[in-house]
This record gives sequence, structure tokens and C-alpha cells, in this order.
Amino acid sequence: MARVELEITRRQFLAAGVAGTALLGTGMGPGRSNMAMNYPDPPWFSQGDVVTTYNYCDMCPWKCGIAVQTVNGQVMKIDGNSLDPKSRGMLCGRGQAGVSFMNDPDRLQSPMIRTGERGEGKFREVSWEEALDYTAEKILAIKDTYGPEALAIFGHTTGDFWFTDYFAQAWGTPNAAKPSSSLCLSPRDEASTLTLGFPVGGHEPMDWDEIECITLIGSHIGEDSRNTVMQDFIESRSRGAQVIVVDPRFSSAAAKADHWLPIKPGTDTALLLAWINVLITEDRFDRSYIDEWATGLDELTTHIQEFTPEWAAGITDLSAEQIRTTARVMSDRLPQAAIMPGRHVTWYGNDSQRMRAVFILNSLLGVYGRHGGMYFNKSPFLDSYPHPPFAVTGSSGGCSAEPGEESAELPLGPTGKARADGARDTFLRGPTAMQELIDPMITDDPYRIAGLMIYGVNLLNSIPIPSRTIEALKKLDFVLAVDVLPQEHVAWADVVFPEATFLERYDELSTVPYKTPFIQMREPAVAPMYDTMPGWMMARELGLRVGLDAYFKWETIEEYLDIRLRSVGSSLEKMHDAGGVIIQEGKPYLDEFVADGESPFHTASGKIELSVAELAEAGLDAIPVYEPTEEPPDGYYRLLYGRNPLHTFAKTQNTPVLSDLSPENELWINEDEAAALGYVSGDKVWLENDNGDRSGPIAVKATQRIRKDAVFMAHGFGQNAEGLTLANGRGASDTKLMSRYKLDPISGGAGMRINFVRLVEGD
Amino acid sequence: MAYAFLLDMSRCIGCEACVVACKSGNQLPVDRQYIKLIEHTSGTFPDLTGGFQNHRCYHCADATCVAVCPTGALFKEDGLTRLNRDACSGCGYCVQSCPYEVPVMSDGRSSKCDACASNVGAGGSPWCVTTCPAQALKYGDRDEILAEAKERVVALKDRYPKAQVYGETQAGGLGLILVLPDDPETLDIPADPPATPVVVDAWKEVVQPLSMGATVLAAAGAGVLGIIARRNHMAELREVDDKKKAGVTAGDSDTEEV
Ligand code: SF4
Ligand code: SF4
Ligand code: SF4
Repeated sequence: MARVELEITRRQFLAAGVAGTALLGTGMGPGRSNMAMNYPDPPWFSQGDVVTTYNYCDMCPWKCGIAVQTVNGQVMKIDGNSLDPKSRGMLCGRGQAGVSFMNDPDRLQSPMIRTGERGEGKFREVSWEEALDYTAEKILAIKDTYGPEALAIFGHTTGDFWFTDYFAQAWGTPNAAKPSSSLCLSPRDEASTLTLGFPVGGHEPMDWDEIECITLIGSHIGEDSRNTVMQDFIESRSRGAQVIVVDPRFSSAAAKADHWLPIKPGTDTALLLAWINVLITEDRFDRSYIDEWATGLDELTTHIQEFTPEWAAGITDLSAEQIRTTARVMSDRLPQAAIMPGRHVTWYGNDSQRMRAVFILNSLLGVYGRHGGMYFNKSPFLDSYPHPPFAVTGSSGGCSAEPGEESAELPLGPTGKARADGARDTFLRGPTAMQELIDPMITDDPYRIAGLMIYGVNLLNSIPIPSRTIEALKKLDFVLAVDVLPQEHVAWADVVFPEATFLERYDELSTVPYKTPFIQMREPAVAPMYDTMPGWMMARELGLRVGLDAYFKWETIEEYLDIRLRSVGSSLEKMHDAGGVIIQEGKPYLDEFVADGESPFHTASGKIELSVAELAEAGLDAIPVYEPTEEPPDGYYRLLYGRNPLHTFAKTQNTPVLSDLSPENELWINEDEAAALGYVSGDKVWLENDNGDRSGPIAVKATQRIRKDAVFMAHGFGQNAEGLTLANGRGASDTKLMSRYKLDPISGGAGMRINFVRLVEGD
Repeated sequence: MAYAFLLDMSRCIGCEACVVACKSGNQLPVDRQYIKLIEHTSGTFPDLTGGFQNHRCYHCADATCVAVCPTGALFKEDGLTRLNRDACSGCGYCVQSCPYEVPVMSDGRSSKCDACASNVGAGGSPWCVTTCPAQALKYGDRDEILAEAKERVVALKDRYPKAQVYGETQAGGLGLILVLPDDPETLDIPADPPATPVVVDAWKEVVQPLSMGATVLAAAGAGVLGIIARRNHMAELREVDDKKKAGVTAGDSDTEEV
């Protein structure tokens, strides 16, 4: 901390003496008397009428319910909506920065059409009329020449519904994808569906109120600042629940753990198999639960014999003792002991099998549908807006799919073409794999993808091998970028649609599967700034221009929303008056299903499948095995990436208040390794992967908090976008250091933790 | 009545929601923040303990900053240390003298948490308290806060044998009562901050009635400078120490200017 030199202080001391005198001269002595004159200023909420609008936060995909406070037409503050089951009146730091996100001076302000070469970032501002007409003309030409499948649509965050789901399905392309699927959740949700018959869904349904043992495998609660999860985690832990954290890094959550297992990266499946071994061989699992609700115990018992803690110790760098102890800590508390499914699970390319092992272990602990284990999520009831049948249904699936919805059927486009991502060929099942659509854009195999609409995806900072993505962008006939900010990929667009932020627009209702299913609303706090437009309006205006009028019958969004809300006896007005949220009853526990004579497990057998025949039939392992992952070459470290509590993906780095507090990421490296390389904390380095790709500069954080074989950084920094005055060139990008990924043969997920980097001097 | 904050570091997970809530609620400009999360780690891999220092105003009853402030910009009210930035002359004595290194200069004036004087004065609750997802923060009557802190510590002893309340007596009793899982030094918090020397109070009297003799003025001034010198020395030591220690979080980028 830089401090005033004593010299200066001495001078100021004299000056202040004078100032003190001057003050006295005005008759204001020190103490409380001067306070009464001008302190404190009245707060903003006393400077006019406070108008509250209800919304759900868009600063990360978690969607906490918020109450937006506006005074004299200015959005002043965002609070958690106390009635909302996600926020319960509280918010994370990113959520608190929503106003700053809206007021970012770097925002896209007008529709634009490209004037220079693609990638040059040269545009002319145009009217909405021109931008929409031009876009409609371009995509219709693509449809006429190649068919509707030739238009790919990528979308992320809360407005993506209008493009990736609604428009894509009406238009008829199965090539709509979300990064939250194959770059994040797919292995988890496909493994869950195979094992239990339903995906995990948005919320990991941990029954926090009564849980006694929480196991986190690579879940960084605290650094991953999902509001509700932080609340629940801390509350159950403070109530006395044991915490087991498996992480190569002493994360914020590990620092709160009762047992920290600093595992060697890539060996989690070995640990999980050994835990299963202990539960079975020591007869420490919930046998009556398994007898009643699961199939495949005999096969599992035979399979697991060789996977002893001693076997796993050699692989994981943990001791057999640690493995046994933690297995017993869990089993002593079953069924109030669950392994949290986590979110970002696309790590090593065998991720569905690892997640299968998690769900098998949870089943042995008897957690599903049990108090203090994991409850069953239920989606809220709400009719869709009536529309003609879609040309293709469930085009992107993934996080928009509701629990219980099958993803087994591949959606086909109207011309009979299936997705171009290789599903059923290179991987078994799951929503469209975004990264698998890049090659077809370059090779025209299995068919040509000629157009791409990108809604809110930071394309070059989310899909591995960004150089390949750029090649694809060069080859496309047409690229539309819908965004709030001039993100890196926006320079590669032909047309740019600037979007109004979540505080400036109505939007689709958010339906949250939960213990108590609920519906959230989004209403604007202020009118759109600049010449921006809400996403729903863009999708509709485009729809009307390309012959999809039948899907966009509504004149106003209010009408659309009111019609949907009518099915639950509400309306926009009623919902607002009721505090912005509609809460319904769930069916969280097993006994309720038993009473109704139903099984909650929607697998072929109607039971939990410890061994999965569908996998065996596809030539895959019916029960997970451990597959070693590639080791870093000499002199290289495995690149691990994760979160920083003040940022979301590559979306918030330019948000002024967040950039002010957290302008760039740091490279966590083991202190001894750093010392051996001659680095101390604060030194700036570049990173280079074994393919020669570079990113940086990034500040070294030499710490004991990480193993010696890996380095770690928060994702989303190191962006190269001149229009982002705060984020441009700050820190290093993990994505730019990913020259490869490994495809998960079950879910199509892209395993990204198989990239290796070394520290090099500046460019 | 004396008010106080409860800050339970067994709950705080370092998410920095309080930092941003304070900035947005109080409409603080760029480069000004009243809370900083500073990561601390003890031990060597894999035998580690660690946590965050949630660095914010301690609201000392015997506040050195108030004692040295020549203009009355810093003052005590309801057990809390208020800061009227309009009255601040920018002398920086508070920055130099605070045993916890809390006030910093921003835009040429002192800057620190004033316990949401404006917000609470108009009937609100402190922004940081209402948003904290870990419910690590509470605000209320100091006696009740202190009693609750003691209860929490009892409940924590199983998990944290060294759990303790911090702030009951330090600096005359703090308006920020910490529940700590371990000794304060593990989070770089002084177990016993240096008290404000009596001479400083005398010096305050000096600045007001200028009729007082020059000798007294010099003597009292020397007392203040003594504290400042000592604080500078501490800061230097800490800087050396910081360099030795690994790891600061991204939120701890030490950007404020002094
Ligand atoms: S977790 Fe934070 S950023 Fe995400 S929705 Fe909630 S408040 Fe917003
Ligand atoms: S909001 Fe709460 S948990 Fe987060 S850093 Fe602040 S005090 Fe800690
Ligand atoms: S009490 Fe108010 S001013 Fe102080 S840290 Fe909390 S929010 Fe900021």
C-alpha cells in the first residue's frame, strides 16, 4: 500500500493547522455541530419517489429475482427480491453491478452493417429498418440455396430463448446451440438422465436444509458466486454439516472444508470408484434403498472389487486412509450426505462417465428423494404461448430442456436433415454440441452451414481453438451478432444488432424447476438507452420479414406475457402487484411418489440404473472405469480455469464497477514452482501452450494454494476487443490457450482441461 | 445508544458482494471502496489453513482517526465512526494513524465506511448487510451484537477450537464485532492495536484554542507525528511481509492512491 512520506506529512501538518484555523474562523468547530450543517447527504432513495420494477438478474445465468429501484427515471440500485426463492433478498457482487452493466459507456448504440473486411471491425450505423431488412434478405438467400439447416444459431444468457429456441424452431434449424450445454453441463445432465431418468436441471437439488455432509468435486462455491448456492452452502455448514472438498486447489470452499482432498487433476473417477468400493465392500451403503429403487448392484459389486482405496491412492495422490475416512464420513450420515453435481463438468472428455460415478455414489448413499439428500426438482406449470407446430422441435435443448424431457430423439430439420454436429456418430446423445458445428462451417461436411446468428455468446472467448472459429467466421456467407457490447467476435459480424439490457426490456418469463417451482418476470425499469432494441422484438421483426408471421401473432410483448400468465390465473399487472414472482407446489420427496404409486426415475427400468445397458449397446462402459488423462509435457503445467466472484464468463470484464474492483485475472502457480522459475507474486508473464499459442500478460500469484503440476486462472479475461476500453488486453485468456479439446463420446461435451502451458517472457 | 456490526468470518466466503453493494448503494465513484477482501494463507501445500481478511472500518470507540482529525470531519456518533468528507481538509492524518490501516485518500479526501450514515439515517439498513449471501453480516444494538457474537463462538468451538470474539475491548471497544475462527494474527489483524496516546487528545485541544502556548503545540504535535512515524514503520514492515507472502485476490489489487 503506497503511503504518504513522512516529509509530506510534516508539510501537510502545518497546512492543516492553518485549515483548522480557517474553519474555526467560520465558527464551525470540530465535532457534531458541523455535521448537522451538511452531513450526511440525503440518500438517493429520499431524493424522489422510488419506483420498483421486478426482474431477474442477467449478470450470470443463475437468474436471481431482483427488485430494481428507480428514482426520477434513473435506475439507482438493484436489490434481491425478498419473495424470490433464488435471491431471498440477497445478491452477489455481479448482481449488485447490474446498473453499471447497463451504464457501460462502451455499449453498442446503433444497428450497424459492415463496411470493411470481416474481422476489421469497420461498420456504418444504419436504421433498424435497414438492418432487419438486410438480415432477412441474407438468411432467406441461405435458406433458398442450402435449406433452413444452413443457418446456425448460437445463444447464451437470458434472452437467448427468442433466438436459440423460439426463432430457431419456427425457422427450422436443428443447428441451434448453447455453450451452457456442450461446453459446460451436457455430461452432467446426460449422465443423470442415463442413470436416474432425468437431468439435474438448472438447480443442483441439494436438500440443503437438512443435509449433514456436502461433497464438492471441483465446485468453487464462493469463487463461483451463485447467490443461492453460497447462501445454502454456508447456512448448512454453519448448522454443522460436514464439508468434503476435492480440488487440486485450496479454493475458498476448500478453506471452509472439514476434509480437503488435493487431488491430482484428471483422476477424480478413480477416487469416486474407490469411494464406491468402500461403501460396498464395507457394507456401508443404503442397501434397502438400492434393493427397492435400483438395478445393477451385482454387476457394480463385481466391477468395483479391484478399485480399492490403495489402487486409487497411487493414481490420485491422495492416501488410502483419506479416501476411506471420507467415504465413512459420508456413509455415517446417509442419506443426508450428497455429492453436489456441480455445473461446469466438461473437463477431460470422459466426463459423462465421471458424472455417472457421482450419481452411482449418490444412489448408494440413498439420497434421491430423501430429506437431507437431494430432492426432485419440479418445473412450474405455465402454458406456452399458442403457436403453430414448430418446424423443428427441441433444436438446442440443453439448459432450456425441462427435467423429465427426453433428449433421445434427434430433432430433424424440415428437409429431413439432422444436426450437423455428429450426434449419434461421434457421440451418443445430448443437446447440440456448439463446438462440433465449427468444423462443418469450414468443411461443408456433413452439409454446408452458411449463416450464423450469435446472441450473447462471447464466441472467441468460450469455444476452444479460437483460431478454428475465426477460420469458420471467414468462410460463412452471413454473420449476425446480437449483443450489448462490442465483444471480440462482433468485429467479425456483417450485421450488428445492439440489444437493450435486462433493465430496459420485457422478456420471456423465467420458469424455475425447484423444490417449490416458481415463475419470475422481467419488466423494464427504464426505456432502452440509445438506439437499442429488446431481443424479443428483434426476433419478431425478423420473423415477420421471413414469413414466420404465424409464430409472432402478438402485437406487443405485454400481450404475449399476459396470455401465458392467464394459464396460472395471473397477468403482468397481478404478478407485479404480487411482488414479481409466482410460487407453486413441488413434489420433492420419494414418499410422495410412493403414495401416488409412481416412480420418480424415468429410466427404461423405472429404477436407478447402476449399470446402463444403452451404454454397453453403444460399445461404451456400462459402469464407469477410470481412464488416465494425458500428462503435461516437461516444463508445462496443466491449465485449470475457473471463476472469480466478481465476473461471469467473458461477459462482465468491461462492466465499470467490476473492472474497477477486479480488472484482470492472476495466474495461480505453486510458490515453490514460481520460485524455481524465478517469479514472485505480481510479476507479469505470458503463457504459451504446447501448440505455441500465447496469451497475456498476466500477473503471477505465487501461492501454496495449488498443486505443483497445474496452474489456474479465472476464465473470461484476456479479451482482444478494442471497443471494450476496460477489458481489452487485460489479463490472459484460457480459451486462447486451448488448442485442443477431447470430445465426450456420451454427451458431446468438450473436455478442455487437457491443455498445457508454460510461463514465458513478454511479447 | 451504541450500534455495531457483526462480521462472522466463519461464514464469510469472500464473495465481495458487500464490496459492490456498498459501492452501488452509496454511489461511490471509480477507485473508491470501503471494503476489501484480502486472502490469507498459512502453511505449506497441502497442510493449509486460510481465509479472508474482510478489511473495513472497525469503528473503534477510542478512534485514533477521530483523535487526530483536525477538522472534525471524522467524529463518533452512536458508537460508530462517521466521516463527513465535505469537512475533510485532506491532511491524511487519519490515513497515517489508524491502527487498522482503514482510511485511504480518494480524490484528495479521506475515505472509509461511515456505517451508511445517509442510508441508515433515512431509515435503510447498511447495504453490505442486506446483500451478504452468507449472512456473515448483521447490524444492530451493540450489546445484542456482542451477545450474539459470544453465542456464535460457543457454537463454533467444535469446528474451530480457537474461535473467538474480537472487538469487545480493542481500541476501547469496536463497533465492528468479529467472530473469528482463529487468532486475529492469522488474518493479519493486530490482537491488540496500539491505543491513542493521551497527548493526541491534548493536541486536538491545541488546534482549537490557538491561545495555547507554542510549547504545548509542539509537544502535542510531536505526539501525533510519533504515532504517524510508528504507523509508517508498521506499514513498511507489512509491505516487506506482503512481498514474502504469496497471494492476493483479484479484488485486492491495491489500486487506491494515497
Ligand atoms: S448469482 Fe449473482 S449474477 Fe447470478 S443471477 Fe444471482 S445476483 Fe445475478
Ligand atoms: S458479502 Fe458476506 S460473504 Fe461475501 S465477502 Fe462480504 S461479508 Fe463475506
Ligand atoms: S456500512 Fe455502509 S458504508 Fe459501511 S461498508 Fe457497509 S455499505 Fe459500505
